[in-house]
Amino acid sequence: MSKSFKIIMTGRVQGVGFRPHVFNLAQKFGLKGSVSNNEEGVIIYLSGEFEKIQQFYKTLIQQPPKLAKIRDHYLSEITHRTFDGFSIVPSQTEGKLNLQLTPDFAICDTCKEEITDPNNRRYHYPFATCVNCGPRWAITNKFPFERDHTNMAVFEMCDSCVTEYQDSSNRRFHSQTNSCSHCGIELKLTDAKGDTISGEDAIQKTASFIKDGNIVAIKNTSGYLLCCDATNPLAIQKLRERKRRPTKPFAILYPSLSLLKQHLKVSKIQEEILTSPESPIVIIPKTDLDGNLAVEELAPHLNQLGIMLPYSGILHLLATELGIPIVATSGNIHASPIISDADMAHHELAEVADYFLNHNLEITNPQDDSVVKYSNRLHEKVIFRRSRGLSPNFDAEVKTDKKILAMGGHLKSTLAFIPNDYLYISQYLGNLDHFDVYDRYMNTAAKYTKLFEVLPETILVDKHPAYNSTLHGMELGKKWNIPVASVQHHKAHFASVLGEHGLFDRNTPILGVVWDGTGYGDDSQIWGGEFFTYHHQAMERVGHFEYFDWLASDKMAKEPRISFFSLADAAMNEEIQQKFSKEEISIYRHLKKKELLKTSSVGRLFDAVASLLNICDLNTYEGEAAILLENQVHQYLLENCTSYISEINDGIVPTHLLFAKIHHDYRSGRDKQEIIVDFLFTLTTMVIKMAEQQNIKEIAMSGGVFQNTVLVDMIKELAGSEYKLYFNRNLSPNDENISFGQVAYHQYIKH
Amino acid sequence: MNKIDLGYDSINLGHGSGGLMTRDLLDKIIFETFSNPYLDQKHDGSIIKMDGKMAISTDSFVVSPIFFKGGNIGDLAVNGTVNDVAMCGAIPEFLSLAFIVEEGLAIDDFIKIVETIKKNADRSGVKIITGDTKVVERGKGDKIFINTTGFGKVHPKADISAKKIKPGDKIIISGPIAQHGMAIMSQRDGLEFESSIESDTTNLNFLVSKLLDSFGDKIHLFRDPTRGGLASVLSEIASDIHMGVNITESALPIDDQVAAACEMLGLDPLFVANEGIFVSIVDPEIASEMIELMQKDDKGQRAICIGEITEEHPNKVVMHSVIGGKRMVTPMIGEQLPRIC
Ligand SMILES: [Fe+3]
Ligand SMILES: [Mg+2]
Ligand SMILES: [Zn+2]
Ligand SMILES: [Zn+2]
Repeated sequence: MSKSFKIIMTGRVQGVGFRPHVFNLAQKFGLKGSVSNNEEGVIIYLSGEFEKIQQFYKTLIQQPPKLAKIRDHYLSEITHRTFDGFSIVPSQTEGKLNLQLTPDFAICDTCKEEITDPNNRRYHYPFATCVNCGPRWAITNKFPFERDHTNMAVFEMCDSCVTEYQDSSNRRFHSQTNSCSHCGIELKLTDAKGDTISGEDAIQKTASFIKDGNIVAIKNTSGYLLCCDATNPLAIQKLRERKRRPTKPFAILYPSLSLLKQHLKVSKIQEEILTSPESPIVIIPKTDLDGNLAVEELAPHLNQLGIMLPYSGILHLLATELGIPIVATSGNIHASPIISDADMAHHELAEVADYFLNHNLEITNPQDDSVVKYSNRLHEKVIFRRSRGLSPNFDAEVKTDKKILAMGGHLKSTLAFIPNDYLYISQYLGNLDHFDVYDRYMNTAAKYTKLFEVLPETILVDKHPAYNSTLHGMELGKKWNIPVASVQHHKAHFASVLGEHGLFDRNTPILGVVWDGTGYGDDSQIWGGEFFTYHHQAMERVGHFEYFDWLASDKMAKEPRISFFSLADAAMNEEIQQKFSKEEISIYRHLKKKELLKTSSVGRLFDAVASLLNICDLNTYEGEAAILLENQVHQYLLENCTSYISEINDGIVPTHLLFAKIHHDYRSGRDKQEIIVDFLFTLTTMVIKMAEQQNIKEIAMSGGVFQNTVLVDMIKELAGSEYKLYFNRNLSPNDENISFGQVAYHQYIKH
Repeated sequence: MNKIDLGYDSINLGHGSGGLMTRDLLDKIIFETFSNPYLDQKHDGSIIKMDGKMAISTDSFVVSPIFFKGGNIGDLAVNGTVNDVAMCGAIPEFLSLAFIVEEGLAIDDFIKIVETIKKNADRSGVKIITGDTKVVERGKGDKIFINTTGFGKVHPKADISAKKIKPGDKIIISGPIAQHGMAIMSQRDGLEFESSIESDTTNLNFLVSKLLDSFGDKIHLFRDPTRGGLASVLSEIASDIHMGVNITESALPIDDQVAAACEMLGLDPLFVANEGIFVSIVDPEIASEMIELMQKDDKGQRAICIGEITEEHPNKVVMHSVIGGKRMVTPMIGEQLPRIC
């Protein structure tokens, strides 16, 4: 007997070829009905034999489309209906959006093959996409995911494309981003003034310009990239000068995995993520490097390189044409946000790029490339930047029926929003000191409230009164007349790990180790080397690094030598004389006598050690000293390590004593690498000691310091199987996780 | 004033009793110094005659140290209030003067301050017409606090109001920033900079009134960026008028030694206090002429246009930075706390 059923699928089910997949599956099972996208996900109506429908349901759940991530699914019987066959019907929405937004996907292998096959009708067409690949979030204005809701709406499909779109056996059946060179997006190569050079053979010409040592700004599908020959030191130096970026490493785009593997040792796990639909930049050690990369210009003084593979048609065609690795760095200047608009690019990058490779697909949500790294020994994944391919979705369960907007931090700002059953975390937005970043940050908040047609009921901000995120949160709170609550920075970091791993319901206490650069503490001092416990919906600070003077405001974070000055004792006068002018010495000595702000920052301790060891006195980019320090370590044997500190009294790690001991070692002529290894081992020991003292077996760690993968490895090794360790998993340990941490803290901690 | 022998070296509680000792101090120092027909009546207050619109402004001065390079608390007490009256587009004429002195202040210091007040009052053309002196126990004050209230007639051509500001208006600053704050800080904290930085405290009323003579209602706003510095004043203006403020870092006048001192301390000069400069927001058509006129005055020699009002980014102040890019300028919130990770 024929019955009728309704199936609802939620999660990442739009823009991933779900409807055509359902269509084909229904055909296979001989079922009649319809499928459409709505505000909740995908809704399927079926009429047929109950058994067949059950089988269909099971199969769909077990074998969903490649890129789909089903979160929930429901099957319910409805009053009997009759259908003429099975059809895909346009989106029908009745309520507010309540689904996962579809991120951008890297170009798939099949589309890659097509555009390099001279016999294919998409030969050399850079914007080939299918249900399994291509931009989504970058070009979407509205959901449900339909062509009309994306910037593809202005391109009308030609007959051939329509045929593909309507053919249920074609892999472009109902592919919303379908286009070809006859009906689609056009490339245009121009010079810096904006005068057209070429349309047809733009890729070939771009390649030859790059080969000749030029810098080209390339409009990719998620924003502009600045590219030049990665084997040409002069070209890279030119880019550094023009971008005023003296030493910060550049990401390198390899033309293919095979060439990359010839040049560099790539592990299985690195290979997997490099070729995943997210296709992030992966930081890989450069040991045994082959080929002729200009490494000293690409990543000065570092023993690692940021690598990616072509994740869009443009990059694939260009890289194939070139056959050599190229620099591919975000198209922006001085920490401004990545640019996505041609006029803006020509205006802002006129003095950086020699040529511009533009196209006419508008980008609504520009995103930087995501960046990840795996620790060398134990392959712990550390996210350095969460953006394209990952945001704005986030798969953590946060129990709430309250609509919350969390404003995040200041330097590595992100927003977290709960407007419905889902939690969304924006892409990395950047340093809010910059107006363009702030503007994008404000617009992102506005965009989310518009997209979901929901205003928050509560706003969460950092406790720091002068973070621009705090100020903007206050402004919004006033505008919408809703409460604004603040969350202490390091407690938010801790909560972010607890939230990511769902640990708030634990019956036994958890130790929180939160180490970073700065955060405003509950005692109005600058925290950054904190130990907490979490137990029964309460967080308590149980220890920290002994306070030292915070000198010279924001300058201290930019000049590691100032951290050195702060921690220096009488035995270090010689170094002080070398690093500072007489005037500076007199001024800073005077300052130290005053009642100053105090800090427990481990980030600043890293700076001080880097300065002491003459590795870095002045940062030219954020975190430089700490990165250089980590990069000095090539190998270590845990059993040969000694901790500079043996005991923690009353939860206070004796920072000054630790520093004095390191200095003593250095003065006695000990090898730098050995000192750094013992320094990291000391930090590792402090984690375990604190756990012992608190009698806790589970440890959660967060904060920018945990981007140090040597430290992560060491802690894991020393902890062995006795302790259960938790790190940020799908979020970065740096301040990008603050927005989520604020939400988690607010929901689960009694206050 | 000749060196006078009062028979005591420092102020004590008796000087605030209201009795003979108070009378002695007032007669020998205050009335002697500030003598004028209003004050000479020695009445409970003064009766003044003023027609038309008047501006009144009051301020208390609690600076520490009370003597600093380039001046003392007496300079600030007169100039601060005179300038506030001038910022209203008025011509300051009268001043009230009230002291709260901590027991133990050296008489010589007191006299020095009173003399400074006199000198500045004369220079800015204001009369001190009423006053008060109180003494508090040791530890209950910080040497000396001064309150002054200024009265002035609004300039006949002035029409100062934030409501008149419109997009495109130019922002003119009369001189280099951050000087006063850095002078105070270096003195207070005993910072020995190689170059000495002096406070820029001065009266601005004559320059202001000259500008009003020439440009009248084309001048939409005057503000003096004292506490909280230029950043705070511009932020306040932006949020008051719900428009944006754009400034250009390279145009900002700042003395090299002041810039170097700020750099060394990690301070942003935009947040550092000023005393002897003011900001004008004016119709664009008069901007260059006004700057020319200012530059001829010794209190406006380094006058320059630093930016303009814009419809973009309402309520926000944005600075086009020297190294490229645009920086958010926010009002100062408490002390300058580090924000960078
Ligand atoms: Fe942090
Ligand atoms: Mg006042
Ligand atoms: Zn594809
Ligand atoms: Zn087509």
